[in-house]
Amino acid sequence: MLTTLIRRELLDNLMTFRFAAAVFVMLLLVVANTAVLIKDYERRLANYNTAVKTHQQKVRERKTYSAGDLNVDRAPNPLSIFNVGLDKRLGNQVAVHHGFVPTLWDAKMHGSDTTFLNIFSSIDIVFIFEVVLSLMALIFAYDAIAGEREAGTLRLVLTHPVRRSHILAAKYISAMACLLIPLLMSLALAVILLTSAGSISLKTADFLRIGGIVLTSLVYLSVFYLVGLLISATTHRTGTALMFSMFVWGFWVLVYPNMILAAVDSMHDAEPRTKAVFSQIQQMWEAFDRERGEFLENDPVPGESTNFDIGWMGFDFRHFRKDSATLRYYYQAGAHFEEIDERSQSQVPHAQNYYQFLVPLTIRTAARTWLVRRQALENIFVQPASVDRTLLKLSPVGMYDAATQAWAGTDLLGIQDFFDAARQYRQTVIDYFYDREAFGSRQWFSADKGAADWSTLPRFSFQRSDVGVNAKRALPDLFLLLIINLGLFIIIFLIFIKSEI
Amino acid sequence: MIWHITKRELYDNLNSLRFTLATVLLLGLMLTNAVVHLREHPKRIQKYHASVRESLKDLTSRADDSLYEIAQQGPGLLHKKPSPLHFCAEGGEAFLSDVVGGAFLWSISGGLNGFWRLNYPSATPNLTNIRPDVTKVDWVFIIGYVLSLIALLFTFDSVSGERERGTLRLMLANPIPRHTVLTGKFLGALISINIPFTLAVLMNLLVISTSSDVHLGTEIWERLGIIFLIAVLYTCLFIALGLLVSARVQRSAVGLVMLLLAWAIFVVFMPSILATIASGFSSPMTSDELWARRGELYRERWARYDAHLPAESESSKRMRFEGEHVIQEATEQERLSEAHLAQKIGQVKFARAITRVSPVAIVHHLLEAFAGTGFERHLQFVENTRRYARHFREFVVDTDRADAESLHIIGVREGMSQKSVSPAAIPKFEDTLSLSRDFNTAAVDVLLLTLFVIVLLSSTYLAFVRVEI
Repeated sequence: MLTTLIRRELLDNLMTFRFAAAVFVMLLLVVANTAVLIKDYERRLANYNTAVKTHQQKVRERKTYSAGDLNVDRAPNPLSIFNVGLDKRLGNQVAVHHGFVPTLWDAKMHGSDTTFLNIFSSIDIVFIFEVVLSLMALIFAYDAIAGEREAGTLRLVLTHPVRRSHILAAKYISAMACLLIPLLMSLALAVILLTSAGSISLKTADFLRIGGIVLTSLVYLSVFYLVGLLISATTHRTGTALMFSMFVWGFWVLVYPNMILAAVDSMHDAEPRTKAVFSQIQQMWEAFDRERGEFLENDPVPGESTNFDIGWMGFDFRHFRKDSATLRYYYQAGAHFEEIDERSQSQVPHAQNYYQFLVPLTIRTAARTWLVRRQALENIFVQPASVDRTLLKLSPVGMYDAATQAWAGTDLLGIQDFFDAARQYRQTVIDYFYDREAFGSRQWFSADKGAADWSTLPRFSFQRSDVGVNAKRALPDLFLLLIINLGLFIIIFLIFIKSEI
Repeated sequence: MIWHITKRELYDNLNSLRFTLATVLLLGLMLTNAVVHLREHPKRIQKYHASVRESLKDLTSRADDSLYEIAQQGPGLLHKKPSPLHFCAEGGEAFLSDVVGGAFLWSISGGLNGFWRLNYPSATPNLTNIRPDVTKVDWVFIIGYVLSLIALLFTFDSVSGERERGTLRLMLANPIPRHTVLTGKFLGALISINIPFTLAVLMNLLVISTSSDVHLGTEIWERLGIIFLIAVLYTCLFIALGLLVSARVQRSAVGLVMLLLAWAIFVVFMPSILATIASGFSSPMTSDELWARRGELYRERWARYDAHLPAESESSKRMRFEGEHVIQEATEQERLSEAHLAQKIGQVKFARAITRVSPVAIVHHLLEAFAGTGFERHLQFVENTRRYARHFREFVVDTDRADAESLHIIGVREGMSQKSVSPAAIPKFEDTLSLSRDFNTAAVDVLLLTLFVIVLLSSTYLAFVRVEI
């Protein structure tokens, strides 16, 4: 009996104009958009490659260890085509330097030249699903019960020995099947376009992630279908059901996500806290500077000069860099002497001695300030943002968006992974310097007796987290969506069982 | 008779669920908009005034030195004045730089310094912002997205619904011309949509104007009036579309599906997809290329300077040469920045022209134009700074000419007037917004929108007159 019901519903749905329209619109939008997004991805990839090349070039040209810092770059995420998340917006290049611990808040942007064009908003595939599929689900659902009640066919069906739960299940299954067709077709086309683009290489893990996105889309779709069904079961006229569904859709998809963040200002004034932490960090660096001054006073060279009166050709620098808004504070000192004249050769050991003392001290201070800074950044920046995200999740759209971002790895955690890798790489570089005893070496500041050797320096590499991690991040929202599904289904069931036809 | 039908439609709508929901939705949005504006606008104004003061202080401190110092260092950064109608159209201001000026001045040789030239920095994106990205709730959003959706929801069943119920046949049995019915329906829908909208707008303006931080002058009210009229014209477009589809289809549900999909395509997706495609057609100089070109120009200039520099003995000739050299260098570099800016503007202009296929883009442009925000406003600002730069340079030349002791060689310290300049005499930059200019830029968009409305209305008329009931 159930199969008969399903078949009837399926035929009913498949032959409608709305189904044809859904398929057509989804295909049109997804294909047009994927082509555009692939182009955009390729541009970003080209920028990334150029940046990596120039940074490597710069490192090779550097003749002393201290003369500058290394830069690591974040490659664009190919899955950002599905949900761009924060991938395009946050910095994608960060300096790795022994004197400070890199974070997201220190990152810069390479190849950020088309800022004018950003006045046009960009759309990703998940956004299309968010808008069009939810609309479709409601359009499929609004007359499922109310329509049959109006037409009288519901009464007719119930004269047969059919369970009401079967009718409901049949409606749900067939409508979901009908909605799946445009979803899967458009996604398949998008994936075909992706794989045929030469620049994008998708691995097995990426296909699993895309599978996760499909699964989440399905659950999201089901929420909207059930909402439509609920409205349809509770109203008596299809006209009312339709109107109500459309306003629910407009509110959840269009109005709520944009309104709530504007209305609730979660960025309460963080300035006093920022100031307090910044002065704490500043004190640590001032202590560092005092210690440095003491060392210079006590060493056999008179005065506090740090280039030790070396007659030289090249450059040297020492400065504190600070930015109170992002709590950045660090000390940078380095030198590049091309040649050192005879007269000052005797000073070289003193300079070596100084750097041997200075660099480990800098590293220690950086580690100490990092402990304070990490906590503060978490409090000042991450927490308000996560309050915002929680607010957005009061609408299924927000949950869906968050879950797909987690699958694609373009959420905040996915971006933070890169900076974790950068911090790890910094540790590797420091270890490398320790191993080679680079701080006390002549090459730290001077290239007169052979240049610094960068050839054995480990390369930076960043692998996006594996699917398991993505899944773990996406699962809470996915479960939430599932629970909503279940709750809605039970409510609809109870209402439908008890309702008079 | 028209009034009769209009009134009937009006009563029908006023009692409906959609009217209540639309009112609640619009009021909520408009209130949010007002509250956000009151929270953020004072900060914006404060920031603007603080930075203008800063530039002014720089300029007056230089005035104490000499004319050379003023001409060489320039007037400091020129700031864009924030519009008081920011709540109407946010205009992507985060991506448009709000300053012009301040190029890094290379020193050319020993005593020669590069002269002040206009430079157009691009906006620095906020890379530390990890909050979720959402559309700003401004009037563009409320009118462009929400109001258009509401207009469709009010009209999708106005003809087909009556046909389904049979009341249309009943009505046409009376001696009423069809176009009267259509006009009545149109007016009824227009009025019933504009009641909640007007209410929401008034509420919004009431909240905004009660605050002491925001001053709305007469010109502002004129602008608001124009914006309101544009919104009405825009709703006419969607009402006409709704009536057209409703007259053509047999079942209102099918009509709604068609309308909603058309709405999603034209309003939500079309502007950004078209803009992205259109901006791919041209590729302006990247900043790397710009810097390479700058370096090249600079080296060329250097080489020419070295090759043609007159000997030490011909001191006046040498000084004249050096002055010319400095001025030419500044002109060259400024021309390069301008070329780069022009390329970027051309790209965006083309993309904007293409997006005019979508009515929401037209409304977006119009609201930006009259609110004094967004891209066209940015171009006006750039134009203002250019005019000011000309004015500033004329001032330098005139002041120098007024001093009889000066050698009148602009570009070299010794060649220019040594008298100190009174700070009050130096022209100050004041960014302005003018309504007549906004009209000119908006004319095309207004015409296009009107054209859309007329085409849709006439096709609705044709469709309704010929349709079988």
